[in-house]
Amino acid sequence: MLARGLSRGWRGICGAALTGAPFSQVPSQVPRGLHCSVATHSSDSSLVPRPPEPLRQPAKPLSPHEELFRPAPDGARDKASFVRAVQNFGQHNVHKRGHVDFIYLALRKMRDYGVEKDLAVYNLLLDVFPKEVFRPRNVFQKIFVHYPRQQECGLAVLEQMENHGVMPNKETEFLLVQIFGRKSYPMLKFVRMKLWFSRFKNINPFPVPRDLPKDPVDLAVLGLRHIEPDLSARVTVYQTASSKDSTGTADPTQQHIVGIQSPDQQAALARHNPARPIFVEGPFSLWLRDRCVYYPIQLDLKYGRGGWDDYEFDIDEVEEGPVFAMCMAGAHDQATLAKWIQGLQETNPALAQIPVIFRLTGSSGELLASSSGLEEPSPPPPQEQEEEEDHTQRQQQGQS
Amino acid sequence: MALVHKLLNGSYILRKGLKPSVAACPFLSTRSADYCSSSLQKPVATPGKASTQRTAAGGLQEDQREVALDIPSPEEKPEVSFDKAIKDEIKEHFRRLKDEIVNHWIGPEGRPLQEIILEQARVVWQFRGKEDLDKWIVTSDKTIGGKSEVFLKMGKNNQSALLYGTLSSAAPQDGENSQSGYCAMISRIPRGAFERKKSYDWSQFNTLYLRVRGDGRPWMVNIREDTDIIQKTNQMYSYFMFTRGGPYWQEVKIPFSKFFFSNQGRIRDAQFQLLLDKISSIGFTLADKVDGPFFLEIDFIGVFADPAHTEEFAYENSPVLNPRLFK
Repeated sequence: MLARGLSRGWRGICGAALTGAPFSQVPSQVPRGLHCSVATHSSDSSLVPRPPEPLRQPAKPLSPHEELFRPAPDGARDKASFVRAVQNFGQHNVHKRGHVDFIYLALRKMRDYGVEKDLAVYNLLLDVFPKEVFRPRNVFQKIFVHYPRQQECGLAVLEQMENHGVMPNKETEFLLVQIFGRKSYPMLKFVRMKLWFSRFKNINPFPVPRDLPKDPVDLAVLGLRHIEPDLSARVTVYQTASSKDSTGTADPTQQHIVGIQSPDQQAALARHNPARPIFVEGPFSLWLRDRCVYYPIQLDLKYGRGGWDDYEFDIDEVEEGPVFAMCMAGAHDQATLAKWIQGLQETNPALAQIPVIFRLTGSSGELLASSSGLEEPSPPPPQEQEEEEDHTQRQQQGQS
Repeated sequence: MALVHKLLNGSYILRKGLKPSVAACPFLSTRSADYCSSSLQKPVATPGKASTQRTAAGGLQEDQREVALDIPSPEEKPEVSFDKAIKDEIKEHFRRLKDEIVNHWIGPEGRPLQEIILEQARVVWQFRGKEDLDKWIVTSDKTIGGKSEVFLKMGKNNQSALLYGTLSSAAPQDGENSQSGYCAMISRIPRGAFERKKSYDWSQFNTLYLRVRGDGRPWMVNIREDTDIIQKTNQMYSYFMFTRGGPYWQEVKIPFSKFFFSNQGRIRDAQFQLLLDKISSIGFTLADKVDGPFFLEIDFIGVFADPAHTEEFAYENSPVLNPRLFK
């Protein structure tokens, strides 16, 4: 039976070479000793549907089994279709021929289907491996890396889980033990992941929830609460975004404006000397996981600070004043921010007498500066931001 | 070799009008490939012959200037005087040697002994001027062919340093890197007379103290120990620094017992605590796989002795991972 299997395998390779069917995993599986029944690329290769000729993508060669991931006619690329594609692979060939390539392909396609953070999908992908075949049975197999390609593939699955921060569970452990054995490299990586992930799970002193809200107003509220350490600060929604019934070309007249101010800041603003102007600076960027929101802040300048009282770190005079309020708005032009200032005036009546200067960095790095129209014109602020205009490609977040 | 390198450094400083924000010196020693964030990607080999140095230095510096700026006008060409630069360098090194000998009699690191013993907090790096920025090197994955950019400049009113740029995790299509996207700011190793490597001694402190203002991104703080032994060049101790974002300055305190050991970029199974007597450099890395602009403003970096912190090392070695430690 062994000899017959070997000769069938060789005939299959020659046949495949003549017909030109893809047989990328044959070189790694041919030098197999006893387990070639799993690995032979026999004449069954004609049953695997050939991938279509790459006419529409002239430069990229299609990998085998790519047609399993072709989008369905209704086009939905989600978890269900991904799971269906993975299960279809098993249905085509019982012996799971080409499972290593298929798993690499599926790992690449996970991002398109949006399932890269889903543990159940990773377990399903590990389930594609044939079980009990790759476990070493005697001391010689234990010394050498048994089935190195498959172990590398298992490591690649675990590494993608690690990159996306997915913690493996008992089912993963059981699958790995069943497939590779307890002393294999994937199992070692699993133990390391369990150890270091649990050590670093809660080290973030400012945790951000995993599922960020989709609504921009809620996201703004979350962001403002995140950066404001004073828990008694009050978040006010001055304006919500208009509904989406306008056409795409119509300009959105209403952007959301959400502001935050704490009672200490209110008191400081009430005490503020009306002769000195207040600056609205921004927008600065704040990253919450992978979403970036922008916020301008209102603060005073030329405020001296004293030394530090504990541990003798001396702070020199810092030319930056207290922050009076912060806001997050959909657009960062002056009109929106002027509406915010007007909203702030309701709770801080002293703001009506204080000149407000806008120092906003637009997307092209230019400095827009003007004062609010309520008071007499104040002197223009110093132009300190010339060197930022060199970098016109991206918005400058830093203060100059 | 070290003198040749310092010569080029000296003639580099003689030039006028070069933007210090390109804070990379292409004429560092063999590790120039790692520490260049300018658009020069090929490592520049230190020229061997003295006679070709001036032309080579002038030519390469012209290249770098032309890449960074437009063509300089003729009257801006600096006076590169080979002999004067060598004389300046020699004087500088002997001055440093004299300082070292004199400081040895005053006390460790040139300060009186009781000051060192009673010291509880020390500011190691401050950012108050351009010369403070020269103590740092900025790197990004441009060295391996990626597309991230990172720049370092002085912040508002010269009170802080601003590290900003754009992170891009597009992997370089060179067949050997499948992941990319990192930016780093590393401190230069302190040098004594004749470019000998010195190290910091922080053995009486136990916590790292940073005053930063970030944008909410998580950074990684890496400390590298004295790298005389060749195996230690890829070893470092790291921990994470989470920035809050927002306009308020954030004080980050990381005890040295929390730093975990890693070699060649991988956390190792055998962990040992960070020994503080020969620290050579500290660095900040951003590699959180999220594309986009970032910034980090640093006011100062210091170390202090926190009496409330009694932990010696935060991580145990597990017998599953390294059984030979438990025999």
